[in-house]
Amino acid sequence: MVVKWIASVSLAVLAAQAGLVAAQEAATQTVAAVPEFAPRPDQSAEQRTEFRTLDEDVQDLKKQVLDLNRDLFLLEEELLFPSNTQTAVFISMDVGEFFGLDSVELKIDDKDVANYLYTEREAGALLKGGVQRLFIGNLKAGEHELVAVFTGQGPHTRDYRRAASLVFEKGIGPKYIELTISDKEVKQQPEFVVKEWE
Amino acid sequence: MRERMRARWSGAALAGALAVVGAVAGSVSAATQLLGAEAPDFVLKSLSGKNLRLSEYRGDVVMLSFWATWCGDCRAQLDELGAMRDRYQDAGVELLAVSLDQNARAAGDVKGEASYPVLHDAAGEVGRLYDVTKMPVMVLIDRGGVVREVFEGFRRGNEEQYLERVQALLRE
Repeated sequence: MVVKWIASVSLAVLAAQAGLVAAQEAATQTVAAVPEFAPRPDQSAEQRTEFRTLDEDVQDLKKQVLDLNRDLFLLEEELLFPSNTQTAVFISMDVGEFFGLDSVELKIDDKDVANYLYTEREAGALLKGGVQRLFIGNLKAGEHELVAVFTGQGPHTRDYRRAASLVFEKGIGPKYIELTISDKEVKQQPEFVVKEWE
Repeated sequence: MRERMRARWSGAALAGALAVVGAVAGSVSAATQLLGAEAPDFVLKSLSGKNLRLSEYRGDVVMLSFWATWCGDCRAQLDELGAMRDRYQDAGVELLAVSLDQNARAAGDVKGEASYPVLHDAAGEVGRLYDVTKMPVMVLIDRGGVVREVFEGFRRGNEEQYLERVQALLRE
């Protein structure tokens, strides 16, 4: 009885060991397996060249797509805002010690055309020299009036709201107008200027 | 005679079924139709006075919640979302609570001390942009600015679902 018990236990132990060895060999085989898609060390020069050519082709295609995207964007602008009626308004800031920009409302011929709220990041970008295209649209040839209302924090962090206006003549070519916010040191106040680009 | 009656009843049943399907389909809001698309960008003034733009949160998982002071479920949902945001903020999770109240002061009285940005949609434009027809609505936006989930309504227990989805997006 005891002998039979010892024999069965020994057989069980031997079987377990055999299973463990098989599992280890399988793991070794799995670890040693190389993914099919990775270039093998013994790959010929021809196959390596093929990989490089494919990569170059892909890069070329990407560049073509980007160029096409840019061209389509310019074409769209040209179609939507032809130069004979195009009017664009830009905004820039200088220094900004006396004024913290919060929002700008733009009216042309008493009609609201733009209303922009500035985040801290956007106002910071303007202070760093950025110029924003606030509005682009179409206007008939002739006289027009532009009114820009600036809202923000003035000197001594008081709420500040100022307007600036410009009467301009829209001719044949595109019209570009710039709104500039700068500091007037003499008056210790911000200055809002609307001017046409020549 | 019997066949004609059967045909009439079948036709009526089919018409009724189609009407129900149509009603259900029609009630799917534009918010759910945004699934998989880029979240429409907007800028609103927060109760703290800062202007906040949704697209500036690219890179974070954003929970965009539409609420109002008169909506009890909204406030309960915001409590849960606020706790989640506080816990996972350093991992890149943000909560933007857009109040659709007429009066910003009402929103401030309720959530003025919140740790997360509370925005006031004075003109209701953003609410219309996301077609918010019932509240609360929570739009879950991934790091790339894509709408991944839209949760309409709130019941106790929903917060577990939110947590699971947010954690999944953080792992991406």
